[in-house]
Amino acid sequence: MLLQVNFKTGKPVYLQLVDQVRYAAASGGLRAGDALPSVRQLAEDLRVNRNTIAKAYAELESQGVIETLPGKGCFLKENNTPFTKQVRQKLLLKEIDEAVVTAHHLQVDRETFLALVHERLDYFESKQEK
Amino acid sequence: MNETPVIEIKDLTRRYGKLDAVDGLSLTVKPGRCYGFFGRNGAGKTTTIKCLLNLLRPTSGTVRVFGLDPQKEEVAVKSRLTYVPDTVAFYPWMTVRGTLDYLASFRAHWNRDIEADLLRRFGLNADQKASALSKGQRTQLALVGAICPEPELLLLDEPTSGLDPIVRREFIETVIGAYQSGDPQRRTVFVSTHLISEFEGLIDEFTIIEQGRELLTMDADAARDRFRKIRARFTQPPAKLDLPGALSVKQTGREVEVLSNGSSEEIIAKLKACQPEDVQTESLTLEEIFVASKHLSKPTA
Repeated sequence: MLLQVNFKTGKPVYLQLVDQVRYAAASGGLRAGDALPSVRQLAEDLRVNRNTIAKAYAELESQGVIETLPGKGCFLKENNTPFTKQVRQKLLLKEIDEAVVTAHHLQVDRETFLALVHERLDYFESKQEK
Repeated sequence: MNETPVIEIKDLTRRYGKLDAVDGLSLTVKPGRCYGFFGRNGAGKTTTIKCLLNLLRPTSGTVRVFGLDPQKEEVAVKSRLTYVPDTVAFYPWMTVRGTLDYLASFRAHWNRDIEADLLRRFGLNADQKASALSKGQRTQLALVGAICPEPELLLLDEPTSGLDPIVRREFIETVIGAYQSGDPQRRTVFVSTHLISEFEGLIDEFTIIEQGRELLTMDADAARDRFRKIRARFTQPPAKLDLPGALSVKQTGREVEVLSNGSSEEIIAKLKACQPEDVQTESLTLEEIFVASKHLSKPTA
C-alpha cells in the first residue's frame, strides 16, 4: 500500500493518512492481517514528522481499523467496528447528507445519484473480492 | 515534569552597534515538538540561536533552555543539546573516525550503533581526512556528530542550504528516522531555514521572524487551514470586489486569485455572489505562507 500526503488540501496530514488506510481497507488494498509500514519507515518515506504518523495510527487503532501487536507492528483488523448499529448508521448519515447536499448543488438528480451509489458499491465490492 | 519548555525566549533584544538584529522576540518550544524558525536572510535567526548557545549575550530580555540560563549554566545546557550550523568546519588533519571520537570525548553518551548505521548510509569512509570531504559530506559528518549523543534538543541553523537535493533529502530523513525514533518526549528539533518546503512535513509549529520581530507563530496544520488560495473565473471581468480579510487580490482579465487569511468562507461567498464560472480553493503550503507573510501587517516599533 502506498500512502501519500498533500499539503495543499488543507486537511491535517494525520487525517489524510487515516482516510487512505480506511479507503485501502474498504477497497481491498489492505486485507485483514496485512502489516502496515512501521512508524519510522513511513515517516522517513513521506518525510513527515514521526509524531504525525503515530497520531494517525493511534486514531486508526481507536477506530478499530488496525491493531498494534507489541514488538511486531501494526496490522489491519478484521472488519468489526466497535460501534453499535445505531451509532454506525448515525455516523454514516452525516456523510450521506453531505453527498446529498453536494449532489443538489451540482444538479445531480435522484436516479443518477442512486445509480452512482450502486456503481461505487459494486466497484468496492469487486475490488475486495479480487 | 516534562512541561518545562525546551526553549523559552522572552522579549529578546540583541543589538550590534545601532542595529537591532533581534528586537523584542518571544517564543516557546514545548518538548517533543519540531519547531520551524523561518525568516529571510538577516531577519535575526542566527543571532537568536547564538543567544541560546551563549555564543552571544542578549542586550536585554531572557533566554531559557530546559528552564536554565545558558549564560549561567552553560555546560548543563550544552550537554543536553547539539547544534549544526550552516557552515561546518572540522580540523582538516583529522579523519572521519578521529573527528567522531573527538566529538564523543565531550559527551556522556554516544550511540555507536547509530554512528555505524549513519556512516554506512551516507557512504562516509571512516579513514578519510576531513579536509578531503565535500561540503555535503562535511554536513553529513556534522549530522552524525549531532545525532549520536541522542540529545534532547537538536538545533539546526540553515542546515541544508548549499547542499544538493539528494543530500538534503537524506539529511531530513535522518533527522526523522535516526533522531526522532528515540523517546519522543525527549526529542525536540528547532530548525531555522528558508528552504521551507523540504521541512514541511516535519514542522509542527513555526515562527516567522522579520527584522528581528515575530511576525507570525502558528501550528502548521492550523496555518494551512487558515491561509488559502482561492481562484475564481468569471464570464465578464468583475467589477471591483470588496473582499474582507484578503491578504492579496490579483486580477488578470476574467480571473481573480485571492489569498485569504482565515476568512475563506466569506470570501468564497462574496465571489460566488458574482456568478463565477468556476471557484477553486487550495491551502497554502508553509513556504507560500512565508512568502505571503510579507502582506501581514508589519510589526511596529
